Amino acid sequence: MKRLVLIAAAAVAAWLLPYGLGGYAIHVADVAIIFAILAIGLGLTMGVAGQINLAQVAFFGVGAYTVAILTTEAGLGFWTASVLALLTAVVFGVLTGIPALRMQSHYLGIVTLGLALAFTNWVTNAHIAGRAEGISDIPVPPMFGVDLSSGYLFYYVELIVFAVALAFALLVTRSPLGRRLRAMRDDDLAAGALGAEIPLLRMTAFVLSGLYGGLAGILYAGLIRFVAPESFNIANMFLLLAMVIIGGRSSILGCVVGAVALSLVREALLDASGYAQLGYGLVVVLVVVFAPQGLAGLPGQLQALRRRRGGGSRAQLGPFRPYEAVPRAEERVALEVRELTMRFKGLVALDEVSLTVPAGQIRGIVGPNGSGKTTLFNVVSGFYTPSRGSVALHGREVSGLAPYQLAQRRVARTFQNLRLFEDLSVRENLLLGLDRTRTWWIWRYPSLPWKVLGYERALRARAGELIDRFGLAEVADAEPRSLPYGIQRRIELARAMAMSPSLLLLDEPAAGLNGGEVRGLAEIVRSIRDAGVTVIIIEHNMGLVMSLCDQVTVLSSGRVIADGPPAEVAVHPDVVAAYLGDSMAAPTEESAEAAVEEANR
Amino acid sequence: MHFTRFSIAAAALLALAACAPPGQTGGSESNTTGPIKIANVNAQSGQLSSLGQWEHKGVKLAVDEANKAGGVNGRQIQLDLFDSQGDPTIGTNVARKIAAEGYLAMLGTAESAVTLAMAPILKDAKIPNITSGQSPKLAELKSPFLFLNAPTSVTFDETLAKYLIDDKGMKKIALISNNGAYGAGEHDAFLASLKTRNVTPSADEIVTPDQKDFNSNLAKIREQSPEVLFIGAEEVQSGLIAKQARELGIKAVLAGGAPVGTDVYATTAGLDNAEGTVVSSPYLSNEASEPIKAFAAKYKAAYNEEARMHVAKAYDGASILIEALKQTQGEGGQKLADAIRGVKRAGLLGDYTYDANGVGIHETKIGLVKDGKVVPEAAS
Repeated sequence: MKRLVLIAAAAVAAWLLPYGLGGYAIHVADVAIIFAILAIGLGLTMGVAGQINLAQVAFFGVGAYTVAILTTEAGLGFWTASVLALLTAVVFGVLTGIPALRMQSHYLGIVTLGLALAFTNWVTNAHIAGRAEGISDIPVPPMFGVDLSSGYLFYYVELIVFAVALAFALLVTRSPLGRRLRAMRDDDLAAGALGAEIPLLRMTAFVLSGLYGGLAGILYAGLIRFVAPESFNIANMFLLLAMVIIGGRSSILGCVVGAVALSLVREALLDASGYAQLGYGLVVVLVVVFAPQGLAGLPGQLQALRRRRGGGSRAQLGPFRPYEAVPRAEERVALEVRELTMRFKGLVALDEVSLTVPAGQIRGIVGPNGSGKTTLFNVVSGFYTPSRGSVALHGREVSGLAPYQLAQRRVARTFQNLRLFEDLSVRENLLLGLDRTRTWWIWRYPSLPWKVLGYERALRARAGELIDRFGLAEVADAEPRSLPYGIQRRIELARAMAMSPSLLLLDEPAAGLNGGEVRGLAEIVRSIRDAGVTVIIIEHNMGLVMSLCDQVTVLSSGRVIADGPPAEVAVHPDVVAAYLGDSMAAPTEESAEAAVEEANR
Repeated sequence: MHFTRFSIAAAALLALAACAPPGQTGGSESNTTGPIKIANVNAQSGQLSSLGQWEHKGVKLAVDEANKAGGVNGRQIQLDLFDSQGDPTIGTNVARKIAAEGYLAMLGTAESAVTLAMAPILKDAKIPNITSGQSPKLAELKSPFLFLNAPTSVTFDETLAKYLIDDKGMKKIALISNNGAYGAGEHDAFLASLKTRNVTPSADEIVTPDQKDFNSNLAKIREQSPEVLFIGAEEVQSGLIAKQARELGIKAVLAGGAPVGTDVYATTAGLDNAEGTVVSSPYLSNEASEPIKAFAAKYKAAYNEEARMHVAKAYDGASILIEALKQTQGEGGQKLADAIRGVKRAGLLGDYTYDANGVGIHETKIGLVKDGKVVPEAAS
């Protein structure tokens, strides 16, 4: 309710603003709104989706130039030209996004920077784009007899477009799509393992970028009615970047605040423009060093500072509430690995490994360090494509599929070195696992936004249940990195279970846990198995393996050297030799267990 | 809950009720007392700032003289400088600013692209603008409020082509120009003049405005061994091109518009390299005529630097505006525009008679560079 009042107050203030402004000030406000829309677009691609996109100013130019060319050369009406301009900008977004499928971070930055330069270069030389002198005399957009050549009335057009653009951006960030984009930004491997279609998501980010750039370009053409290469050059790209960084790149509202603030500063510095660039540069450096989250992150930073001073209580895990057991289905094979070989250049990590895991089993995989256990997981979960051999899931061939495709076939995994999304809360981490929609589902965002909100509510209800079940109520809204290691392990397990998997791969889930936590883990894994999930577990804690697993497979130097019930495997001569070297006499069952633990320390 | 809903509805109603569309009340109140506000808009920062600073000095000299002589009907002229940064978008901002703040007229800018961007806004606000740009596109706008204080590139290059081809019979001509607003304008205008004479250039090299090394372009030109090398670029770049062309052994006659007639060009190229360059300009040198000599002396006394064409044409433009203001008795708008169109002035750049497109000077003269100074061709 309070939020509603705030929004209403902001809307009324924005609506009444022109009454208090002079003819020039309103023009400044008009330009600021255009930059705010651009900044939202850049915030979505760069801040939320983590795609370093330095071509935003080119999308802006594509929108403006398309309107200019179509209205002056082809004689189209302003609004017809605008629709085509928006489409053109989106197409440019897609084209710019293609390199992002292959490369990330600074490489992507260089590529997009190159494309932005190519754009200004093209418009400076192309006759159709008016070359260095640009295109003037763009017609005034017609609007049912309202004279939009007045900066005051154009302000209202901009305001409405801006409100819709902002609302859509907020909808995107606060819904499953935005969460996936942020997850992709933090850790694209883990996001893929949770079923996020990374290539499609990256394209989505660039489509959004093109959309907002094109929108701003159309408004620019309508307002300024003139386009020239200088308006879309790299200096303006830097200004835009500064807006987003100063405002707070991962907060859409922060981007808007940054854009408006810097537009006003630029206006104030009009008489000292020679030093303005220097000033922006300095401010960006200061912000990056002292407030990496920008203006939007300042309240949180202050809060954290106060909390640190006050001292906090240590977070506690609640008890796990077991799953309801389902009667075991007739014996089927959950996972079949046949003669799998994985070669990295000269190194053979897996050498003709074959493995059959029946449904509903807890299978342990043990072996000395470097024996290929995690490589096996990486192949089964799609991170590596095997050099030879095949993997079948419930009788269907799946080798060579991408992680997200396997995740959609209900394979879930955890990682040896925790891969939680650090900048997302615990609840959001779980929501990511729960959200099983495909990326093409996002057509609902523009057409049926209320359905998106309804779906999000349903997801949150299920996340609440999951949080209760795993005893995470107390930490649900904390960031994972602020929590003790044991709790993080539990969260990762809960996140994997959020995917309702049929096959769960646990990579050293007990590493770093204390005795009590290990016993709790065993209880949870058994309950998961009883709920009908097949579990494969890599573990060095032999006590846990012996007591938990139905069957144990031992790997050594990429080969299976033993496979059978835990008690048998533990005394298998090859196993003993692999762990202790063959000079030792065969030990008894109990001493083997102790010795293995010793060896692992 | 009820209250907040009510208050939102009330606020919304209030907004709608107040929905007389907002706007500036009063508009440009034509006050008849106090100083007359004139805006000078030019790049004071960035690559083109030296041009903008010369322009401002020329304008200021004319305004200061007029003020010292009693102003316009006893009212002083208030000259305010705005920085366009050479950026058209900033230019449109400034255009709105001077429209909102009640300026009667605008002088500048020196960059055609910026003036082109500002022209529609100034036209809507009925603010006459005397620009230093010389792009043919400015005339094509046919705005009744836009005037040029110099000929367009078409005139510069037509005169040049006439001299080189018709008078001297040179047909092997190579072009090198940049793709900035000025260079591209020169390139197109000169090419058009060649076309009407059925001459095809033997080479046509395009560079960028910030390029410094032209060896590869010039090497291509050298292969054609042209008689004439036409340079379409600003002062410093023209000088660099001339220098590198001579270093590569290109013997062709160098030719160009106003930039190659400046001392900046000659010193950048080196006096030997610049020797004999053919210049097409309405303002050949500070010694070309008695009025020009007097002006150059006045300028030197005021700023302690040599006068040049940019200064002279800005001075001419400002003088025309002041003359027109005296006729309208300080009134602006359509009346001022009409008055400017009616001014017949024997200026430093020639005789101004404005046509419907806002072009006041329709011819240039040919000069040759001798010892870094331009001498009229007829006298050589």
